[in-house]
Amino acid sequence: MGEPRRVDGSGGDAVLEVACQEFVELVTEHLEGALPPAVERAVVAHLALCDPCVEYLAQVRATTAALAQLPPPTLPEPVRDQLLGLFGRLHPPSPGP
Amino acid sequence: MTEPPQPRPAPPEPDPPGPGARRAAAPPVTVAVAAARPGGSDDQAGLLARLRAGDQRAFAELVDTWSPVMLRVAMLHVSSRASAEEVVQETWLAVVRQLDRFEGRSSLRTWAFRILENLARTRGRREARTLPWSSAFPGDGEGDGGGPTVDPARFRGAGDRWPRHWTDAGAPVAWEPPPEDAAVAAEVRRELRAALDELPPRQRAVVELRDVLGLSSDEVCARLALTPGNQRILLHRGRARLRARLEGLYRGRTEGDGGG
Ligand SMILES: [Zn+2]
Repeated sequence: MGEPRRVDGSGGDAVLEVACQEFVELVTEHLEGALPPAVERAVVAHLALCDPCVEYLAQVRATTAALAQLPPPTLPEPVRDQLLGLFGRLHPPSPGP
Repeated sequence: MTEPPQPRPAPPEPDPPGPGARRAAAPPVTVAVAAARPGGSDDQAGLLARLRAGDQRAFAELVDTWSPVMLRVAMLHVSSRASAEEVVQETWLAVVRQLDRFEGRSSLRTWAFRILENLARTRGRREARTLPWSSAFPGDGEGDGGGPTVDPARFRGAGDRWPRHWTDAGAPVAWEPPPEDAAVAAEVRRELRAALDELPPRQRAVVELRDVLGLSSDEVCARLALTPGNQRILLHRGRARLRARLEGLYRGRTEGDGGG
């Protein structure tokens, strides 16, 4: 899974080639900057020619952007109510202002 | 552990801070909020006095203001949102029970967060024993077998002219309107929250810390005792599932697309 294949280039040098099915498994390492340089070059070369994979990358980015926009977590309402109830029992309102 | 929700006592005042009042435009900046800010300890004595006098509104404000921060702090130690909620709940229970013994040498906030840190750390250690973070690797799919993150049927077969490239039907379709558009933002948030809660625990923890809370990969590795490589695997699998959920959401919105 996600293994770029080594193919013979025109000059006899081995170059890496990434297909779409490999790209989708390399996308996180690509975003993290964690790919070995040769694989990273192959990914960039693939993206230059493949609109659907550019779209896939955009969707991963959109997903993480949407995650960053999630509202801050809050306590579940029943827990909050329970806490207020306990507070009311242990600290009943004192008379006065 | 958590106690079952108690029936609420009769409201002590005509205008109790009930659930509905949570996001209501409360009276301007209040004692509780001021005390929540660093350096806002001027009103510390006033806040403490109000709490000890049984001012439920002041307590409710405190809970609403500090709980989101507390949940985030707790999530740095424990492995799930549910655990974090229980830790924060236990913290508040301790605060309520020990309020009369609090001597005021530190700020109320410092005191409360110290309780929180202790509870969260203890629980995190307990969970670390039952949830071995690093033993299930490599390729940890946490039950999904560590297989491909995108359905192989969406790619062309080996006999095709373009093997392993997207098929016409399988290729991703642009999301319109984009997730940040007001028309879909709320729906997207609901879907993501639900999808996050359904992720396997390790994936969820990594995605929460990295993408929701914005921690760096170094911080997450240190916090969860993961190697960088294993952290990336969990992040990759978690993100892929969440992207797929949003894709499903968009497919459902576009009727007649035939994508499902
Ligand atoms: Zn492609």
